[in-house]
Amino acid sequence: MNDTAIKTTELSHSYGPKAALVGLNLSVREGEIFGLLGHNGAGKTTAVSLLTTLIAPTKGTATILGLDIHTDADEVRRTIGYLPENVQFYGNLTLLENLRFFARLSGLQKPDARIREVLEFLDFTGHDSERLETFSKGMRQRVGIAQSILHNPKVLFLDEPTSGLDPQGVRNLREIILNLNRHFGMTIFMNTHLLSEVTQTCTSIGVLREGELVYQDSLAATLTAFPDEASLEDIYLHIEARPGQ
Amino acid sequence: MKIFAAGAYQELLSSRRERMPQILLAVFVGMVTASSVIGWLTNQVVTSVYDRTYAAGLTTQPNPFSAVSPLYYAKNTVIYIILIGALLAIVVGVQSTIRDRKAHTFDLVLSRPVRPASYLGAKLVGLLFWVAGILALSAAISWTSIGAIVGSVLSPGDTIRLLGFYALAWLFLLPFIVLGMLTGLYSRRETTSLLVPIVTWSVLTFVVPQLGTAEHPVSLLNPVPAIASQGGVFQLANLVLGPLSLTEHFKHASGYVLGNTVGAGNPLLSLAVMVAFAVSLLVVLLTTQRDRMRSPLDE
Repeated sequence: MNDTAIKTTELSHSYGPKAALVGLNLSVREGEIFGLLGHNGAGKTTAVSLLTTLIAPTKGTATILGLDIHTDADEVRRTIGYLPENVQFYGNLTLLENLRFFARLSGLQKPDARIREVLEFLDFTGHDSERLETFSKGMRQRVGIAQSILHNPKVLFLDEPTSGLDPQGVRNLREIILNLNRHFGMTIFMNTHLLSEVTQTCTSIGVLREGELVYQDSLAATLTAFPDEASLEDIYLHIEARPGQ
Repeated sequence: MKIFAAGAYQELLSSRRERMPQILLAVFVGMVTASSVIGWLTNQVVTSVYDRTYAAGLTTQPNPFSAVSPLYYAKNTVIYIILIGALLAIVVGVQSTIRDRKAHTFDLVLSRPVRPASYLGAKLVGLLFWVAGILALSAAISWTSIGAIVGSVLSPGDTIRLLGFYALAWLFLLPFIVLGMLTGLYSRRETTSLLVPIVTWSVLTFVVPQLGTAEHPVSLLNPVPAIASQGGVFQLANLVLGPLSLTEHFKHASGYVLGNTVGAGNPLLSLAVMVAFAVSLLVVLLTTQRDRMRSPLDE
Protein backbone atom coordinates (compact mmCIF):
# COMPACT_ATOMS: atom_id res chain seq x y z
CA MET A 1 0.00 0.00 0.00
CA ASN A 2 1.30 3.42 -0.94
CA ASP A 3 1.01 5.65 2.12
CA THR A 4 1.38 8.84 0.10
CA ALA A 5 -1.78 9.81 -1.76
CA ILE A 6 -0.50 12.98 -3.41
CA LYS A 7 3.09 13.93 -4.00
CA THR A 8 4.35 16.84 -6.04
CA THR A 9 7.96 17.52 -6.96
CA GLU A 10 8.92 20.99 -8.16
CA LEU A 11 5.50 21.22 -9.78
CA SER A 12 5.25 24.46 -11.74
CA HIS A 13 2.92 26.08 -14.20
CA SER A 14 3.03 29.37 -16.08
CA TYR A 15 0.34 31.14 -18.07
CA GLY A 16 2.51 32.78 -20.70
CA PRO A 17 5.15 34.80 -18.87
CA LYS A 18 3.17 34.75 -15.60
CA ALA A 19 4.18 32.02 -13.18
CA ALA A 20 1.09 30.71 -11.42
CA LEU A 21 2.74 27.92 -9.46
CA VAL A 22 6.43 27.74 -8.67
CA GLY A 23 8.24 24.54 -7.63
CA LEU A 24 5.47 23.07 -5.50
CA ASN A 25 6.75 20.28 -3.24
CA LEU A 26 3.85 18.82 -1.38
CA SER A 27 2.94 15.53 0.20
CA VAL A 28 -0.49 14.39 1.35
CA ARG A 29 -0.92 11.03 3.06
CA GLU A 30 -3.75 8.62 2.31
CA GLY A 31 -6.88 9.25 4.36
CA GLU A 32 -6.03 12.89 5.08
CA ILE A 33 -8.24 15.89 4.51
CA PHE A 34 -5.83 18.48 3.21
CA GLY A 35 -6.75 22.16 3.00
CA LEU A 36 -4.80 24.36 0.61
CA LEU A 37 -5.05 27.97 1.72
CA GLY A 38 -4.03 31.18 0.01
CA HIS A 39 -5.25 34.55 -1.19
CA ASN A 40 -7.02 34.94 -4.52
CA GLY A 41 -4.53 34.33 -7.31
CA ALA A 42 -2.10 32.45 -5.04
CA GLY A 43 -2.18 29.44 -7.38
CA LYS A 44 -4.62 27.13 -5.56
CA THR A 45 -6.84 26.43 -8.57
CA THR A 46 -3.78 25.99 -10.80
CA ALA A 47 -2.48 23.37 -8.34
CA VAL A 48 -5.79 21.49 -8.44
CA SER A 49 -5.99 21.78 -12.24
CA LEU A 50 -2.53 20.21 -12.49
CA LEU A 51 -3.33 17.41 -10.06
CA THR A 52 -6.60 16.62 -11.83
CA THR A 53 -4.70 16.48 -15.17
CA LEU A 54 -6.68 19.35 -16.67
CA ILE A 55 -3.49 21.25 -17.46
CA ALA A 56 0.05 20.05 -17.98
CA PRO A 57 2.94 21.22 -15.81
CA THR A 58 5.54 23.45 -17.41
CA LYS A 59 8.06 21.91 -15.00
CA GLY A 60 8.15 19.25 -12.32
CA THR A 61 5.84 16.33 -11.75
CA ALA A 62 3.25 14.88 -9.40
CA THR A 63 1.84 11.49 -8.53
CA ILE A 64 -1.58 10.45 -7.27
CA LEU A 65 -1.36 7.12 -5.43
CA GLY A 66 1.90 6.51 -7.26
CA LEU A 67 0.46 7.31 -10.70
CA ASP A 68 2.20 10.04 -12.66
CA ILE A 69 -0.16 12.85 -13.71
CA HIS A 70 1.54 13.08 -17.09
CA THR A 71 2.42 9.52 -18.11
CA ASP A 72 -0.53 7.79 -16.36
CA ALA A 73 -3.06 10.57 -16.91
CA ASP A 74 -6.00 8.31 -17.79
CA GLU A 75 -5.36 6.07 -14.80
CA VAL A 76 -5.15 9.14 -12.56
CA ARG A 77 -8.51 10.29 -13.97
CA ARG A 78 -10.06 6.95 -13.03
CA THR A 79 -8.68 7.26 -9.52
CA ILE A 80 -9.79 10.77 -8.65
CA GLY A 81 -13.03 12.67 -8.22
CA TYR A 82 -13.24 16.40 -8.86
CA LEU A 83 -15.63 19.21 -8.06
CA PRO A 84 -14.59 22.53 -9.66
CA GLU A 85 -15.66 25.90 -8.33
CA ASN A 86 -18.90 27.35 -9.75
CA VAL A 87 -19.82 24.39 -11.91
CA GLN A 88 -23.41 24.76 -13.19
CA PHE A 89 -24.12 21.37 -14.81
CA TYR A 90 -26.69 20.92 -17.57
CA GLY A 91 -29.68 22.94 -16.41
CA ASN A 92 -32.13 21.49 -18.90
CA LEU A 93 -31.37 17.92 -17.87
CA THR A 94 -32.79 16.29 -14.76
CA LEU A 95 -30.71 15.23 -11.78
CA LEU A 96 -30.80 11.61 -12.89
CA GLU A 97 -29.86 12.48 -16.49
CA ASN A 98 -26.92 14.59 -15.32
CA LEU A 99 -25.62 11.89 -12.99
CA ARG A 100 -26.10 9.12 -15.56
CA PHE A 101 -24.04 11.11 -18.04
CA PHE A 102 -21.13 11.67 -15.65
CA ALA A 103 -21.33 8.10 -14.37
CA ARG A 104 -21.02 6.74 -17.91
CA LEU A 105 -18.10 9.05 -18.63
CA SER A 106 -16.48 7.52 -15.54
CA GLY A 107 -16.95 4.07 -17.03
CA LEU A 108 -19.99 2.87 -15.06
CA GLN A 109 -22.01 0.61 -17.36
CA LYS A 110 -25.34 0.47 -15.49
CA PRO A 111 -25.12 3.41 -13.14
CA ASP A 112 -28.65 3.70 -11.72
CA ALA A 113 -28.09 1.51 -8.65
CA ARG A 114 -24.90 3.36 -7.79
CA ILE A 115 -26.59 6.75 -8.33
CA ARG A 116 -29.35 5.73 -5.93
CA GLU A 117 -26.75 4.64 -3.37
CA VAL A 118 -24.85 7.93 -3.65
CA LEU A 119 -28.00 10.06 -3.43
CA GLU A 120 -29.08 8.18 -0.31
CA PHE A 121 -25.64 8.66 1.21
CA LEU A 122 -25.94 12.39 0.52
CA ASP A 123 -29.51 12.42 1.87
CA PHE A 124 -30.61 13.86 -1.46
CA THR A 125 -33.44 11.63 -2.63
CA GLY A 126 -36.74 12.68 -4.25
CA HIS A 127 -35.27 15.06 -6.84
CA ASP A 128 -34.45 12.56 -9.59
CA SER A 129 -36.73 13.95 -12.27
CA GLU A 130 -36.27 17.64 -11.45
CA ARG A 131 -34.25 19.75 -13.87
CA LEU A 132 -31.12 21.31 -12.43
CA GLU A 133 -32.12 24.81 -13.58
CA THR A 134 -34.59 24.77 -10.66
CA PHE A 135 -31.95 23.81 -8.05
CA SER A 136 -30.50 26.16 -5.43
CA LYS A 137 -26.73 26.62 -5.08
CA GLY A 138 -26.67 24.23 -2.13
CA MET A 139 -28.55 21.56 -4.08
CA ARG A 140 -26.20 21.96 -7.06
CA GLN A 141 -23.25 21.55 -4.75
CA ARG A 142 -24.68 18.20 -3.61
CA VAL A 143 -25.05 17.23 -7.26
CA GLY A 144 -21.41 18.22 -7.65
CA ILE A 145 -20.33 15.98 -4.80
CA ALA A 146 -22.55 13.18 -6.13
CA GLN A 147 -21.00 13.25 -9.62
CA SER A 148 -17.51 13.35 -8.12
CA ILE A 149 -17.93 10.18 -6.02
CA LEU A 150 -20.04 8.04 -8.37
CA HIS A 151 -17.06 5.94 -9.42
CA ASN A 152 -15.72 5.49 -5.84
CA PRO A 153 -12.60 7.61 -6.28
CA LYS A 154 -9.79 7.18 -3.78
CA VAL A 155 -8.80 10.84 -3.90
CA LEU A 156 -11.27 13.70 -4.09
CA PHE A 157 -10.39 17.25 -5.17
CA LEU A 158 -12.70 20.07 -4.16
CA ASP A 159 -12.10 23.61 -5.39
CA GLU A 160 -13.70 26.15 -3.04
CA PRO A 161 -16.56 23.77 -2.24
CA THR A 162 -18.28 26.14 0.20
CA SER A 163 -18.15 29.18 -2.10
CA GLY A 164 -21.56 30.87 -2.25
CA LEU A 165 -23.25 28.54 0.21
CA ASP A 166 -25.40 29.74 3.11
CA PRO A 167 -24.43 28.69 6.67
CA GLN A 168 -26.72 25.64 6.56
CA GLY A 169 -25.26 24.64 3.20
CA VAL A 170 -21.75 25.01 4.57
CA ARG A 171 -22.63 22.82 7.56
CA ASN A 172 -24.23 20.15 5.34
CA LEU A 173 -21.23 20.07 3.04
CA ARG A 174 -18.85 19.80 5.99
CA GLU A 175 -20.74 16.75 7.23
CA ILE A 176 -20.60 15.19 3.78
CA ILE A 177 -16.84 15.74 3.50
CA LEU A 178 -16.22 14.28 6.94
CA ASN A 179 -18.46 11.28 6.19
CA LEU A 180 -16.69 10.59 2.90
CA ASN A 181 -13.40 10.56 4.75
CA ARG A 182 -14.62 8.49 7.72
CA HIS A 183 -16.78 5.94 5.90
CA PHE A 184 -14.76 5.41 2.74
CA GLY A 185 -11.28 6.51 3.82
CA MET A 186 -11.24 8.96 0.93
CA THR A 187 -8.29 11.32 0.75
CA ILE A 188 -9.64 14.82 0.27
CA PHE A 189 -7.73 17.78 -1.13
CA MET A 190 -9.59 21.04 -0.96
CA ASN A 191 -8.95 24.66 -1.75
CA THR A 192 -10.76 27.02 0.52
CA HIS A 193 -11.00 30.52 1.89
CA LEU A 194 -13.12 29.55 4.88
CA LEU A 195 -10.68 29.05 7.72
CA SER A 196 -13.45 28.04 10.13
CA GLU A 197 -14.12 25.14 7.74
CA VAL A 198 -10.49 24.17 7.71
CA THR A 199 -10.44 24.06 11.52
CA GLN A 200 -13.45 21.77 11.62
CA THR A 201 -12.65 19.60 8.62
CA CYS A 202 -8.98 19.36 7.69
CA THR A 203 -6.29 17.18 9.22
CA SER A 204 -3.45 19.05 7.52
CA ILE A 205 -2.94 22.35 5.74
CA GLY A 206 -0.69 24.10 3.27
CA VAL A 207 -0.40 27.79 2.52
CA LEU A 208 0.33 29.10 -0.97
CA ARG A 209 1.62 32.60 -1.51
CA GLU A 210 2.15 33.96 -5.01
CA GLY A 211 2.50 30.47 -6.41
CA GLU A 212 4.89 29.17 -3.74
CA LEU A 213 4.11 26.85 -0.87
CA VAL A 214 5.22 28.71 2.24
CA TYR A 215 3.86 26.35 4.88
CA GLN A 216 2.70 22.75 5.29
CA ASP A 217 1.96 20.75 8.42
CA SER A 218 -0.78 18.89 10.22
CA LEU A 219 -3.55 21.04 11.66
CA ALA A 220 -2.80 19.88 15.20
CA ALA A 221 0.89 20.72 14.86
CA THR A 222 0.02 24.07 13.32
CA LEU A 223 -2.28 25.04 16.18
CA THR A 224 0.39 24.18 18.77
CA ALA A 225 3.26 25.74 16.81
CA PHE A 226 1.76 29.21 17.10
CA PRO A 227 0.77 29.49 20.78
CA ASP A 228 0.55 33.29 20.58
CA GLU A 229 -2.12 33.24 17.89
CA ALA A 230 -5.74 32.95 18.99
CA SER A 231 -7.18 31.25 15.92
CA LEU A 232 -6.29 29.60 12.62
CA GLU A 233 -7.19 32.88 10.96
CA ASP A 234 -4.49 34.64 12.99
CA ILE A 235 -2.01 31.84 12.23
CA TYR A 236 -2.80 32.06 8.51
CA LEU A 237 -2.33 35.85 8.47
CA HIS A 238 0.91 35.44 10.43
CA ILE A 239 2.24 32.90 7.90
CA GLU A 240 1.11 35.07 5.00
CA ALA A 241 2.86 38.14 6.43
CA ARG A 242 6.23 36.61 7.27
CA PRO A 243 9.13 36.87 4.81
CA GLY A 244 9.55 34.22 2.12
CA GLN A 245 11.36 31.00 3.03
CA MET B 1 -17.53 3.28 -27.18
CA LYS B 2 -19.93 3.53 -24.25
CA ILE B 3 -18.42 6.88 -23.29
CA PHE B 4 -18.91 8.06 -26.88
CA ALA B 5 -22.54 6.92 -26.84
CA ALA B 6 -23.10 8.70 -23.52
CA GLY B 7 -21.75 11.95 -24.98
CA ALA B 8 -23.88 11.66 -28.11
CA TYR B 9 -27.04 10.86 -26.13
CA GLN B 10 -26.45 13.72 -23.70
CA GLU B 11 -26.05 16.12 -26.63
CA LEU B 12 -29.20 14.84 -28.29
CA LEU B 13 -31.14 15.30 -25.06
CA SER B 14 -29.80 18.79 -24.33
CA SER B 15 -30.27 20.10 -27.87
CA ARG B 16 -33.80 18.80 -28.03
CA ARG B 17 -34.67 20.85 -24.95
CA GLU B 18 -33.05 24.15 -25.95
CA ARG B 19 -35.61 26.84 -26.75
CA MET B 20 -33.99 28.57 -29.74
CA PRO B 21 -33.48 25.38 -31.79
CA GLN B 22 -37.07 24.43 -30.96
CA ILE B 23 -38.32 27.72 -32.42
CA LEU B 24 -36.16 27.37 -35.54
CA LEU B 25 -37.27 23.77 -35.89
CA ALA B 26 -40.92 24.83 -35.75
CA VAL B 27 -40.24 27.50 -38.41
CA PHE B 28 -38.40 25.00 -40.62
CA VAL B 29 -41.05 22.29 -40.43
CA GLY B 30 -43.73 24.99 -40.81
CA MET B 31 -42.07 26.29 -43.99
CA VAL B 32 -41.78 22.79 -45.47
CA THR B 33 -45.46 22.23 -44.67
CA ALA B 34 -46.44 25.66 -46.03
CA SER B 35 -44.46 24.94 -49.18
CA SER B 36 -46.44 21.73 -49.64
CA VAL B 37 -49.76 23.51 -49.10
CA ILE B 38 -48.80 26.28 -51.55
CA GLY B 39 -47.75 23.67 -54.11
CA TRP B 40 -51.03 21.84 -53.67
CA LEU B 41 -53.10 25.07 -53.95
CA THR B 42 -51.18 26.17 -57.05
CA ASN B 43 -51.77 22.81 -58.67
CA GLN B 44 -55.46 22.87 -57.77
CA VAL B 45 -56.05 26.42 -59.05
CA VAL B 46 -54.12 25.98 -62.29
CA THR B 47 -55.72 22.60 -62.98
CA SER B 48 -59.21 23.96 -62.28
CA VAL B 49 -58.64 26.97 -64.58
CA TYR B 50 -57.13 24.66 -67.20
CA ASP B 51 -60.09 22.24 -66.98
CA ARG B 52 -62.59 25.08 -67.52
CA THR B 53 -60.50 26.56 -70.36
CA TYR B 54 -60.14 23.16 -71.98
CA ALA B 55 -63.87 22.42 -71.59
CA ALA B 56 -64.66 25.76 -73.22
CA GLY B 57 -62.46 24.73 -76.14
CA LEU B 58 -60.10 27.66 -75.60
CA THR B 59 -56.96 25.50 -75.55
CA THR B 60 -55.72 22.21 -76.90
CA GLN B 61 -52.45 22.33 -75.01
CA PRO B 62 -51.92 19.79 -72.19
CA ASN B 63 -52.24 20.80 -68.54
CA PRO B 64 -48.89 22.45 -67.70
CA PHE B 65 -48.69 20.38 -64.49
CA SER B 66 -49.16 17.06 -66.27
CA ALA B 67 -45.58 17.18 -67.60
CA VAL B 68 -44.08 18.19 -64.29
CA SER B 69 -42.13 15.65 -62.19
CA PRO B 70 -43.73 15.07 -58.78
CA LEU B 71 -40.39 16.10 -57.23
CA TYR B 72 -40.91 19.57 -58.70
CA TYR B 73 -42.95 20.28 -55.58
CA ALA B 74 -39.93 19.69 -53.34
CA LYS B 75 -37.91 22.30 -55.23
CA ASN B 76 -38.45 25.15 -52.78
CA THR B 77 -37.29 23.02 -49.88
CA VAL B 78 -33.75 23.57 -51.20
CA ILE B 79 -34.06 27.22 -50.22
CA TYR B 80 -35.53 26.43 -46.81
CA ILE B 81 -32.56 24.15 -46.14
CA ILE B 82 -30.14 26.89 -47.18
CA LEU B 83 -31.87 29.64 -45.22
CA ILE B 84 -33.51 28.16 -42.14
CA GLY B 85 -31.80 24.77 -41.99
CA ALA B 86 -28.31 26.30 -42.02
CA LEU B 87 -29.26 28.79 -39.30
CA LEU B 88 -30.71 25.98 -37.22
CA ALA B 89 -27.49 23.99 -37.71
CA ILE B 90 -25.37 26.98 -36.64
CA VAL B 91 -27.49 27.63 -33.54
CA VAL B 92 -27.42 24.01 -32.33
CA GLY B 93 -23.69 23.82 -33.05
CA VAL B 94 -22.90 26.98 -31.09
CA GLN B 95 -25.12 26.02 -28.17
CA SER B 96 -23.57 22.58 -27.97
CA THR B 97 -20.12 23.91 -27.04
CA ILE B 98 -21.09 27.22 -25.42
CA ARG B 99 -23.32 25.27 -23.03
CA ASP B 100 -20.33 23.40 -21.62
CA ARG B 101 -18.17 26.51 -21.44
CA LYS B 102 -20.87 28.52 -19.65
CA ALA B 103 -21.61 25.74 -17.18
CA HIS B 104 -17.89 24.90 -16.70
CA THR B 105 -18.74 21.26 -17.38
CA PHE B 106 -15.77 20.75 -19.71
CA ASP B 107 -13.66 20.53 -16.53
CA LEU B 108 -15.83 17.71 -15.23
CA VAL B 109 -15.63 15.87 -18.53
CA LEU B 110 -11.89 16.32 -19.04
CA SER B 111 -11.02 15.26 -15.49
CA ARG B 112 -12.35 11.84 -16.55
CA PRO B 113 -10.65 9.47 -18.99
CA VAL B 114 -12.17 11.18 -22.02
CA ARG B 115 -10.23 12.48 -25.03
CA PRO B 116 -11.23 15.96 -26.32
CA ALA B 117 -11.65 14.60 -29.86
CA SER B 118 -13.80 11.75 -28.59
CA TYR B 119 -16.07 14.06 -26.56
CA LEU B 120 -16.42 16.66 -29.32
CA GLY B 121 -16.98 13.88 -31.85
CA ALA B 122 -19.69 12.41 -29.64
CA LYS B 123 -21.39 15.79 -29.36
CA LEU B 124 -21.29 16.16 -33.13
CA VAL B 125 -22.78 12.70 -33.64
CA GLY B 126 -25.59 13.61 -31.22
CA LEU B 127 -26.32 16.76 -33.21
CA LEU B 128 -26.17 14.88 -36.51
CA PHE B 129 -28.76 12.44 -35.21
CA TRP B 130 -30.91 15.38 -34.10
CA VAL B 131 -30.65 17.05 -37.52
CA ALA B 132 -31.27 13.69 -39.23
CA GLY B 133 -34.46 13.37 -37.20
CA ILE B 134 -35.64 16.81 -38.34
CA LEU B 135 -34.81 16.04 -41.96
CA ALA B 136 -36.58 12.68 -41.70
CA LEU B 137 -39.67 14.50 -40.43
CA SER B 138 -39.41 16.99 -43.31
CA ALA B 139 -38.96 14.13 -45.79
CA ALA B 140 -42.11 12.46 -44.45
CA ILE B 141 -44.05 15.72 -44.79
CA SER B 142 -42.76 16.24 -48.35
CA TRP B 143 -43.48 12.63 -49.36
CA THR B 144 -47.03 12.78 -47.99
CA SER B 145 -47.83 16.19 -49.42
CA ILE B 146 -46.42 15.42 -52.87
CA GLY B 147 -48.55 12.29 -52.88
CA ALA B 148 -51.59 14.41 -51.99
CA ILE B 149 -50.81 16.97 -54.71
CA VAL B 150 -50.29 14.49 -57.53
CA GLY B 151 -53.06 12.22 -56.28
CA SER B 152 -50.95 9.08 -56.08
CA VAL B 153 -48.21 7.53 -53.99
CA LEU B 154 -44.71 8.62 -55.00
CA SER B 155 -42.96 5.94 -57.11
CA PRO B 156 -40.03 4.03 -55.53
CA GLY B 157 -37.62 5.84 -57.85
CA ASP B 158 -38.91 9.28 -56.86
CA THR B 159 -38.99 8.25 -53.20
CA ILE B 160 -35.31 7.31 -53.41
CA ARG B 161 -34.53 10.62 -55.10
CA LEU B 162 -36.41 12.50 -52.36
CA LEU B 163 -34.50 10.61 -49.66
CA GLY B 164 -31.26 11.28 -51.56
CA PHE B 165 -32.06 14.97 -51.52
CA TYR B 166 -32.54 14.95 -47.73
CA ALA B 167 -29.30 12.98 -47.32
CA LEU B 168 -27.61 15.68 -49.35
CA ALA B 169 -29.22 18.32 -47.12
CA TRP B 170 -27.78 16.52 -44.08
CA LEU B 171 -24.32 16.65 -45.64
CA PHE B 172 -24.82 20.34 -46.48
CA LEU B 173 -25.79 21.15 -42.87
CA LEU B 174 -22.85 19.25 -41.35
CA PRO B 175 -20.23 22.00 -41.95
CA PHE B 176 -22.58 24.59 -40.45
CA ILE B 177 -23.03 22.50 -37.30
CA VAL B 178 -19.25 22.09 -36.99
CA LEU B 179 -18.68 25.78 -37.72
CA GLY B 180 -21.11 26.63 -34.90
CA MET B 181 -19.34 24.22 -32.54
CA LEU B 182 -15.98 25.75 -33.41
CA THR B 183 -17.05 29.35 -32.86
CA GLY B 184 -18.66 28.18 -29.62
CA LEU B 185 -15.23 26.89 -28.60
CA TYR B 186 -13.05 29.69 -29.92
CA SER B 187 -15.11 32.86 -29.30
CA ARG B 188 -14.62 34.88 -26.16
CA ARG B 189 -18.26 35.95 -26.04
CA GLU B 190 -21.50 34.12 -26.70
CA THR B 191 -22.73 36.85 -29.05
CA THR B 192 -19.57 36.58 -31.18
CA SER B 193 -19.92 32.83 -31.32
CA LEU B 194 -23.27 33.26 -33.06
CA LEU B 195 -22.34 36.28 -35.13
CA VAL B 196 -19.24 34.82 -36.78
CA PRO B 197 -20.88 31.71 -38.30
CA ILE B 198 -23.95 33.69 -39.38
CA VAL B 199 -21.76 36.23 -41.19
CA THR B 200 -19.79 33.33 -42.73
CA TRP B 201 -23.04 31.71 -43.85
CA SER B 202 -24.28 34.95 -45.44
CA VAL B 203 -20.96 35.45 -47.24
CA LEU B 204 -21.10 31.87 -48.59
CA THR B 205 -24.76 32.22 -49.55
CA PHE B 206 -24.89 35.72 -51.01
CA VAL B 207 -21.52 37.43 -51.42
CA VAL B 208 -19.38 34.67 -52.96
CA PRO B 209 -21.99 33.56 -55.55
CA GLN B 210 -22.75 37.19 -56.40
CA LEU B 211 -19.09 37.90 -57.17
CA GLY B 212 -18.94 35.04 -59.64
CA THR B 213 -22.33 35.42 -61.28
CA ALA B 214 -23.20 39.13 -61.02
CA GLU B 215 -26.64 37.98 -59.88
CA HIS B 216 -28.86 40.26 -57.85
CA PRO B 217 -28.83 38.98 -54.23
CA VAL B 218 -32.59 38.31 -54.37
CA SER B 219 -32.00 35.99 -57.34
CA LEU B 220 -29.77 33.91 -55.14
CA LEU B 221 -32.87 32.95 -53.16
CA ASN B 222 -33.98 31.04 -56.25
CA PRO B 223 -33.55 27.29 -55.83
CA VAL B 224 -32.05 27.12 -59.31
CA PRO B 225 -28.28 27.81 -59.27
CA ALA B 226 -27.10 31.15 -60.64
CA ILE B 227 -25.34 30.97 -64.01
CA ALA B 228 -21.66 31.94 -63.96
CA SER B 229 -20.87 35.15 -65.83
CA GLN B 230 -18.85 34.84 -68.99
CA GLY B 231 -15.89 37.11 -69.56
CA GLY B 232 -14.25 39.82 -67.55
CA VAL B 233 -13.68 40.02 -63.86
CA PHE B 234 -16.81 38.03 -62.94
CA GLN B 235 -15.59 34.97 -64.84
CA LEU B 236 -12.26 35.20 -63.06
CA ALA B 237 -14.02 35.67 -59.73
CA ASN B 238 -16.16 32.63 -60.46
CA LEU B 239 -13.09 30.59 -61.26
CA VAL B 240 -11.45 31.52 -57.97
CA LEU B 241 -14.47 31.70 -55.68
CA GLY B 242 -16.64 29.06 -57.34
CA PRO B 243 -15.42 26.23 -55.11
CA LEU B 244 -16.32 28.33 -52.07
CA SER B 245 -19.94 28.78 -53.16
CA LEU B 246 -21.14 26.03 -50.85
CA THR B 247 -24.80 26.92 -51.13
CA GLU B 248 -24.67 27.11 -54.94
CA HIS B 249 -23.02 23.68 -54.98
CA PHE B 250 -25.83 22.39 -52.80
CA LYS B 251 -28.33 23.82 -55.31
CA HIS B 252 -26.43 22.12 -58.17
CA ALA B 253 -26.35 18.74 -56.45
CA SER B 254 -29.96 19.03 -55.25
CA GLY B 255 -31.12 19.95 -58.73
CA TYR B 256 -29.45 16.81 -60.06
CA VAL B 257 -30.95 14.57 -57.37
CA LEU B 258 -34.45 16.06 -57.72
CA GLY B 259 -34.30 15.81 -61.50
CA ASN B 260 -34.23 19.56 -62.18
CA THR B 261 -31.49 19.56 -64.74
CA VAL B 262 -31.59 23.35 -65.33
CA GLY B 263 -28.14 24.57 -64.32
CA ALA B 264 -27.38 21.31 -62.54
CA GLY B 265 -23.69 21.56 -63.49
CA ASN B 266 -21.37 18.77 -62.42
CA PRO B 267 -23.01 17.08 -59.43
CA LEU B 268 -19.87 15.15 -58.53
CA LEU B 269 -17.87 18.37 -58.30
CA SER B 270 -20.58 19.86 -56.12
CA LEU B 271 -20.60 16.80 -53.89
CA ALA B 272 -16.81 16.94 -53.64
CA VAL B 273 -16.93 20.60 -52.57
CA MET B 274 -19.52 19.81 -49.88
CA VAL B 275 -17.45 16.88 -48.59
CA ALA B 276 -14.28 19.03 -48.63
CA PHE B 277 -15.99 21.71 -46.50
CA ALA B 278 -17.21 19.09 -44.04
CA VAL B 279 -13.87 17.27 -43.76
CA SER B 280 -11.79 20.45 -43.34
CA LEU B 281 -13.97 21.73 -40.52
CA LEU B 282 -14.10 18.28 -38.90
CA VAL B 283 -10.31 18.16 -38.80
CA VAL B 284 -10.20 21.53 -37.04
CA LEU B 285 -12.87 20.44 -34.56
CA LEU B 286 -11.30 17.10 -33.71
CA THR B 287 -7.86 18.62 -33.13
CA THR B 288 -9.18 21.12 -30.58
CA GLN B 289 -6.98 21.20 -27.49
CA ARG B 290 -8.09 20.76 -23.88
CA ASP B 291 -7.03 24.33 -22.99
CA ARG B 292 -9.32 25.72 -25.69
CA MET B 293 -12.28 23.74 -24.38
CA ARG B 294 -11.63 24.98 -20.84
CA SER B 295 -11.17 28.64 -21.82
CA PRO B 296 -13.56 30.94 -19.96
CA LEU B 297 -16.07 33.25 -21.61
CA ASP B 298 -15.72 37.02 -21.15
CA GLU B 299 -19.14 37.57 -19.59
